[in-house]
Amino acid sequence: MDSLSFWNRTLMEPMIIDIILVQESPNPSSELTSPAASGTEASTETVIERWMVQYEGQRLMAPQIGEATYKKMYRKSIILLRSVHAMLRLLPAYKAFRKLCSLKQNCDFVINYKVCSFSSPFSRAEEESMKKYSFVPIDIQPGRLSVSVIYREDLSDFNLDVLVSCPPQIITDYVERGNQILPPHFSDLTAGQVVCIRMFLHHRANPLGSPPLHRSPYEYSPSPTETYIHRNQNQRFPTHQKTTSDDLLSPPFSSSPSPSPPTYLSGGNTVQSRLRSETAPVSIPHPMMGRSPRFLSPNLSDPSRHSLPPLSPRNTRYDPSSHESSSGIRSMRRLDSLRAGESSSGPINVSPKVARDAKEDSGRFSSLLSSGSSPRVGFSRSSSRLSFQDDFGDCDFSCPFIVDDVDPPDSQASLNPDGTKSSEVSSQASSTAKKSQDAAVGILVHMLKTAPPLRQDSGYYTSQSSKIEFEGEVGAASEFFKPRKTSDALEELKVYKEMKDLLLSKSAARLVGKEKRWT
Amino acid sequence: MGSLTLQTSSDFSFRASAPKDIDLELFEITYVQCGDVELERKIDEKIDQFIDKVEKHPNKKNQICLSFYEVKNKQATWFSNKVERLHWEQWYINLNVTQNPKGHSGKSHLPKVEVNPGDTAAEARRARRTALECSLRDILFQIIRFVNEKRDHVPPIPNLDGVSFPYEITISRFCFWDGHVQENAPNWASYNAQLISKAFELVRFL
Repeated sequence: MDSLSFWNRTLMEPMIIDIILVQESPNPSSELTSPAASGTEASTETVIERWMVQYEGQRLMAPQIGEATYKKMYRKSIILLRSVHAMLRLLPAYKAFRKLCSLKQNCDFVINYKVCSFSSPFSRAEEESMKKYSFVPIDIQPGRLSVSVIYREDLSDFNLDVLVSCPPQIITDYVERGNQILPPHFSDLTAGQVVCIRMFLHHRANPLGSPPLHRSPYEYSPSPTETYIHRNQNQRFPTHQKTTSDDLLSPPFSSSPSPSPPTYLSGGNTVQSRLRSETAPVSIPHPMMGRSPRFLSPNLSDPSRHSLPPLSPRNTRYDPSSHESSSGIRSMRRLDSLRAGESSSGPINVSPKVARDAKEDSGRFSSLLSSGSSPRVGFSRSSSRLSFQDDFGDCDFSCPFIVDDVDPPDSQASLNPDGTKSSEVSSQASSTAKKSQDAAVGILVHMLKTAPPLRQDSGYYTSQSSKIEFEGEVGAASEFFKPRKTSDALEELKVYKEMKDLLLSKSAARLVGKEKRWT
Repeated sequence: MGSLTLQTSSDFSFRASAPKDIDLELFEITYVQCGDVELERKIDEKIDQFIDKVEKHPNKKNQICLSFYEVKNKQATWFSNKVERLHWEQWYINLNVTQNPKGHSGKSHLPKVEVNPGDTAAEARRARRTALECSLRDILFQIIRFVNEKRDHVPPIPNLDGVSFPYEITISRFCFWDGHVQENAPNWASYNAQLISKAFELVRFL
């Protein structure tokens, strides 16, 4: 309103009100811009509406105006003012003004106005794109008041709708929507952590299937993790693999020698127990990797070797190369069949022998552990046992020291008539059997030593000798952990036999001496 | 704007009331109302009557007549003491409400719009809506133009406690065409009844 004050002083001059559209981006079409536009680099001003109000006064003094005239002037002024008021709201600039008011901070244009008594005329091109309407002047003695408007009929050239087409919206249920994708307890995790967890679950369910996951939108289902595991159990190698999933593989799944979650690497037993219960996967160090390549799987050159656990050193020792390759292929086939349609619980048909072996033959698994990540082992344990059982079933193993079948401690205890001592020995034997295959040799030797005596009256001496032998056994047990050959064992057996004979002879001599004394 | 008054010996101004901007729900059009509650109530009643009539007699041509008059007290005779009404301005709006050819139960008869066969239904509706918006805006411009072109016939403001001249809204099946009453007027340019009623309000405002 302050800008209108100057016009009141000069009543005879027209009052021109320009409605200017100011856009931030420069308008390349300079023809349509007003010559009065500043044309700054950052903004473009365009007159979109121009109102001209002019009072054309008469030079001659008008006669005195009667009341009727005033009434008429009043009625006409009311009609004019209301018409202008209604017209303003029908013009395109008002629509832009309303958009500007509704989206204040998200519009790239501003509407300004300018009041002046003179203005530069529009160019011919501008006039062609504009419409003019002149209100019928009203007689206001001593002159008359005229109002006219020139406006742009179409503002689509300025793309005002595009600028306000994407108003900001507050997603009120953003957190809830995100929680719907993941299980509730995953709501606090980041996207990367979620992917890692998913990869973990996949590997846990299908450790042999190490290729990267196929990230499809269906993976982000709100179903619990169990169903996710079961769903992935039936997946073969996905044909479509995205590289992004490789990048999102969590460190625990890498074959690095460094231990990953330190809480899990508390010891070999702990690892083995975890394997048995198929808990969290760990990256286990590979102490046997540096020993000898012969202990590794013979299928190193096989591209699918990464899906198979390496064979145990025992098996590699006695398997011919040709047989190893064939066994590897057969095991791979079996593993594929197992992976295809079986659940995470393991193979369907597990013989008691295999089950028993799986329960006790942890020595093999330690080697398996050392050569790969645990998730593979955890799943492949029984399956590999099954495959190995079949592979070696046809072979003729005459050497008794190949531990394919390790009798349970109960069977060992049943052979020993000595109650307490045998139970102690059996427990010790069972503990040593778990550690290494060499301990099994010691057990066998011990079995021979604890065999029932040849004579019953030598029970005391046998107990004494067994005690001595037990003591000696403890010291010798350490020796049994060394790798031994069959010949060594036979020699040792001979030594023990000689010792036994010697002891028996001595005891017999004592008895004879006693009898002579009594007599 | 509506509060301009001229104090003279005789009060010839309407009761001041601030005009009210009304935004249409269907279109980006803003029109102005008088701002008088009583007047708006009466107009809404007439609109409802028209809608009811259209629902009872669909596909019938209808006409809404808005007439402004001044009361002339006729000299009372022995048999009549009528109050003569001198209509000084009448607005005739012919409405023909038809159903949407797509099956929608709308009451609007959209002007003919050239729709390409490849357009989807949504695009067709959008095109019809845009055309109707343009037509309505043109109608409103025309009303303003009519009001401004002829002002001399407006009678003096009666000394009444109101915001407008006396008026009358009639709904009939008959229509005036070429100045003559015709029963079946040609089916030209029919619009949504409610939208035209809003035009009534604009006319009354002016």
